[in-house]
Amino acid sequence: MPSSEIRVCLPADVALHARPAGTLVRAASTFAAEVFVSANGRRANAKSILDILSLGAEGGVELVIDASGDDAAAAAEHLALLVPALA
Amino acid sequence: MTAIVEGNGTVTLILVSHSSEIASGLAEMAAQIAGPAVRIVAAGGAVDGSLGTDGGRVLEELRAAANGSGAVVLVDLGSSVLSVRAALNELSPDELRHLSVADAPLVEGAIAAAVAASTGCSHAEAARAAEEARSVAKL
Repeated sequence: MPSSEIRVCLPADVALHARPAGTLVRAASTFAAEVFVSANGRRANAKSILDILSLGAEGGVELVIDASGDDAAAAAEHLALLVPALA
Repeated sequence: MTAIVEGNGTVTLILVSHSSEIASGLAEMAAQIAGPAVRIVAAGGAVDGSLGTDGGRVLEELRAAANGSGAVVLVDLGSSVLSVRAALNELSPDELRHLSVADAPLVEGAIAAAVAASTGCSHAEAARAAEEARSVAKL
């Protein structure tokens, strides 16, 4: 099964709090691939806002986005472009 | 009191709380996080606006949603649960097929259900997302 992993940093002044997390989860949910985001040694399902919020990722933190499934590459690339633009 | 955030064809989120402020504040918060696509109904407080639940209003909102795009229902506790149960007893089997009641904490469950609903999922899937709130650690 295709898989893809990309590392990307949150903007320095944007923690992964409720609104940005909602944006991320809605974007991840448009792909069929399983998508996960890791930070602070934890790995969360990118399609679950509660899971993403539990990462407690602060601004500037590096996120590892890993996806698996037919559209994994597109999913990882889409989220990697979206994360630095979160506000 | 019932406040409504208009949505866009996705399943409706119905928030039943003893407090109109809790229901409407949560509706506002969920709409900000999930975006404008989800229709959110805040059915909080008694008929006169005091603390309590308005069973007639709850039934009306459940019936309207069941005959529309379907709904996931979130409750706080006590008479909110009883009001929803009583309303479900009034609905036909066909109407019940379009509703899911989430057994989940109200705030976390509503946010999870709203975000799920915004992706176009079914009411049952939105309820499952809400119920994850029971097992996902907050800290």
